[in-house]
Amino acid sequence: MSPLPQVLLDGLVAGGAYALMAAGMSLILGVVKVVNLSHGAFFTLGAYVAYAMADRGIGGPVAVPLAAAIAFAFGVFLGKSFINPARSHPFALPVGTLACALLFEQAAQLAWGPHPLAVDGGAPWPGPFGVVVRRWGAVAFLASAAILGALRILLVCRPGLPLKLVAEDEEIASSVGIDVEAVRYLTFGGACAMAAAAGALLAPAGAITPTMGRGPLVLSLIVVIVAGMDSVGATFLLSIALGVLGNACAYYLSPQWSYVALLCSVALLLSARPTGIVAVPGRRD
Amino acid sequence: MDTRSYPRTLFPGSLIVLSAVFLHAIIAMPVFPADKPGDAVRIGVLAPLSGPYAAGGTSFVQAATLAAEQANSEGGVLGRRVEVVAADTQGRVDVAKSEALRLVSREKVSALVGAYLSEETVGVMEVAASHRKVLIVPVAATAEITDRVRDEPARYRYVFRVGYSIPQWAELVVAFLSDRSVRRYAFVGAGIRWNRELGDALGRTAARAGISPAYVSYYSPGNPAFDPVAVAAAGSAPDIVVLGDPGRNSVSFLKRLREVAPGLPVFSIGGALGDARLAASLPLSGPLFVQAAAWSGASAAATEYAVRYERRYGAPPVGYSDTLPYDAVGVLAAAWRKAGSLDAAGAIAALEMGAFQGVAGTYRFDADHQARWGTGPGDLRGTVVRWERDGARIVFPPR
Amino acid sequence: MIRPAPLSSGWATQIRGGWLAAGIGLLLLFPLSYPDAYLLDVLTTGFLLAAFAASWDVVGGIAGQVTLGHALPFGAATYACALLTRLAGWPFPLAAAAAVLLATAAGAGVGQLASPLSGPFVAVLTLALAEAAHEIAAGHAFLSGPGGYAWGGEGGIPVVLPWGDAPPIASYYAALAFLCLSTWGILRFSRSESGLVLRAVAGSPLTAQASGVPIGRFRRLAFIVGSAFAGAAGAGYAAHVGRATAGDLSLELSFQAATFAAVGGRGTVVGPVVAALALHALFQGLSLPPAARVLLYAGTLLVTLRFFPGGVAGTAREVAARLRSRDRNRGGRRRRGGEAPPGGSA
Repeated sequence: MSPLPQVLLDGLVAGGAYALMAAGMSLILGVVKVVNLSHGAFFTLGAYVAYAMADRGIGGPVAVPLAAAIAFAFGVFLGKSFINPARSHPFALPVGTLACALLFEQAAQLAWGPHPLAVDGGAPWPGPFGVVVRRWGAVAFLASAAILGALRILLVCRPGLPLKLVAEDEEIASSVGIDVEAVRYLTFGGACAMAAAAGALLAPAGAITPTMGRGPLVLSLIVVIVAGMDSVGATFLLSIALGVLGNACAYYLSPQWSYVALLCSVALLLSARPTGIVAVPGRRD
Repeated sequence: MDTRSYPRTLFPGSLIVLSAVFLHAIIAMPVFPADKPGDAVRIGVLAPLSGPYAAGGTSFVQAATLAAEQANSEGGVLGRRVEVVAADTQGRVDVAKSEALRLVSREKVSALVGAYLSEETVGVMEVAASHRKVLIVPVAATAEITDRVRDEPARYRYVFRVGYSIPQWAELVVAFLSDRSVRRYAFVGAGIRWNRELGDALGRTAARAGISPAYVSYYSPGNPAFDPVAVAAAGSAPDIVVLGDPGRNSVSFLKRLREVAPGLPVFSIGGALGDARLAASLPLSGPLFVQAAAWSGASAAATEYAVRYERRYGAPPVGYSDTLPYDAVGVLAAAWRKAGSLDAAGAIAALEMGAFQGVAGTYRFDADHQARWGTGPGDLRGTVVRWERDGARIVFPPR
Repeated sequence: MIRPAPLSSGWATQIRGGWLAAGIGLLLLFPLSYPDAYLLDVLTTGFLLAAFAASWDVVGGIAGQVTLGHALPFGAATYACALLTRLAGWPFPLAAAAAVLLATAAGAGVGQLASPLSGPFVAVLTLALAEAAHEIAAGHAFLSGPGGYAWGGEGGIPVVLPWGDAPPIASYYAALAFLCLSTWGILRFSRSESGLVLRAVAGSPLTAQASGVPIGRFRRLAFIVGSAFAGAAGAGYAAHVGRATAGDLSLELSFQAATFAAVGGRGTVVGPVVAALALHALFQGLSLPPAARVLLYAGTLLVTLRFFPGGVAGTAREVAARLRSRDRNRGGRRRRGGEAPPGGSA
């Protein structure tokens, strides 16, 4: 039996996991225009909530909304107390959110201990052609497609108009009576909730530790920025492409080189298209 | 120059000088006032206590503290209490060196135990050598540690390793594989130097026992692609998968492997997979073996240690990053008692000549100051356990 | 020839000059107060990190190209020092010179790729290149040395130093002298014609381009100069720590430089230097319990950035500029020189 279908499927799934992480980040970058380096911490928070619930015998359907609600609350707090006031200096924000991530990692280490924890994900589903469908993977892929699809629809529909206006021009938005500050911190909170939901959904995939968010943060940061920052479709496609590329490279070349191959392809992509895959003409910085 | 502004600059200038002097006074003040000399024998313990390696580092310090308490309950060392002073190495060579300096120059420790990662340990070695303090290395496995003792004994004679070296580790693994009649194994590790060295050493040692590798691969530590490695490892149809990563990635890899090959036996070289808090949620559809320096039930000392550790810290030891530091402190205390003094020369002589009872067995050091682990007579053997739903059972060495 | 205008003037300059002189005097005096070897070591490392943060400021602050891969030239230099002294048998000073050249070349390469980019794209490109270098350094033993083991990997490569174990006080003064020299050099560069053009490019690339400035060439220059100083800091670090390890290329180190710059005031050069020294001395030198250290460090960053979002020096400069304009509006003191730039923040 050829391993190719399994490798491709796992690549799609890995890409889905990147996209799930990237979804919220892309929203923050588009609307609030902040590179949020605490995104990985909210992902970790979600995973710990899933663990704490599973430990009490409560499953994902409760854990995911709970994680999202907790992260939303913290996200709104962070948005109101730090992001909005410090926004006059865009460089303070990534460093401040990085500090938040450090703070959270240490708090998680105090609360749950530094040792790895795990959530039982259940047996995988058998697929056609002897392929195994990893349960968390199917969830990650479908959830990322659903979240990014919903975002895309939201941004063209009427309820998403304030978001889109704030994303495009804050002055016009506030002149037509939109509470720009509120849109910003609510968006920030919503994106943090998406990160935590992603963490709760992906918790069964691996080990849960205080610093587990660092790796996914780097890749989703790369994906979001290279995809052109506010293009939802490009974010999804680029995530999937990187997932498949990384896995195929690991299987057919060497797993040691898969990360380097991803990074080099991103560097090449940026040299070919200096303004990202989807360049938005006349964007104001 | 605008002379009129002088009075305005002078004031803030003097203010800053004053506050800087004050700050200096605060910084230079020892934060943890050292006990009066003669009060306690201090042992400096270096391990990463924050960041990604905090899991191993925390149990490291906990076990060392427990060992000091044990030594005190046996009457201390030379009539004095033993005290552990911990330092956070943060996984960095510069911090490890500078914290080792703190322990030596400010905390006045009599010996050092540590560190955890290879890069930290080689940094600490330099401080131990230049300050002539005995350094016991419990966990770090890189070949450089004993190579330097062999190549420059005059400078590095202060360094002893109680943990297994890479060739010894390979020998212990092959002894288990032979016992299980394994013919073909798959080795999966982290793409860092000591893990590669372990994979190579395992290949050489296994070849002598007629065991051959079916698949060898190292995943990237930055963004490990577990799924394709699991698919390839399972596809090579080995009798067992040897998992060479002691960190948290071993947990993720085990899960991914069990999804594509539920019944394949897995042997972990120790570390995170020895943690009982994890075992309850791990996929045990196939046998999962974990190597440890010692395990509850292997000997009376090991059982007593495991019971005390669990009572004190709420979870049983993992048998690697706690048991070895525990024995390191125990060996050090015994060497001081044997030498009758705390000076380095006496301790080195005692360590070179003597045999020391620890949780894992009797420690003896070879010419390169490496504890003798392996399959020869008088060697420490280690323990292999198999996880079941209700706990771990010892499966090797056979009784 | 454009005459470089003083960046700020009046009493603000003199206070800053007073601060700096007092600080340097104190640091020169410090080793004479019989501190232990540990404190000297912490401060020596702090000086080198501060020089590294200042070199970040050339690229990320003055030129406005926020790099998250500044560990690349730093680590390239430490590795060059280690490989050339250990394996090629070069004397350390020669190896250090070669290391600085290599770091400069690495900077030229990165600058070539990054100069057409702007904003977060620069951050992502530099991050990707440095991460790739880190991954390769951590995973690959370079060469098999005698004795059957390889150098490299996570444990790194030892540097051969002619002086063996240097006395801590000598390392301290050497690192302090190096920090003063490199800060002075970077300040000179930032006030030179190129530096002023770079600030203009950072402020508004479009305006600069419209007035005929070849912005690509100037951005490359910033990467080259910044990387050369980072390489010098790396060579100093290799001499101090005695080892090149994969950690020298890590993302954490790049983030650390950016953090110091943000707290101190991006584009002010002196701000990042003082922030690096203060934060490193406080959080390493006080030997706090690990959890408290991390929590306090992160908390300090958050509070500082909340109330000084432009960094301490950047925000102080803005306040000084406001005060001056108020003075002027009141028809107060006559001043010379121009308005202070707004802390270099875009």
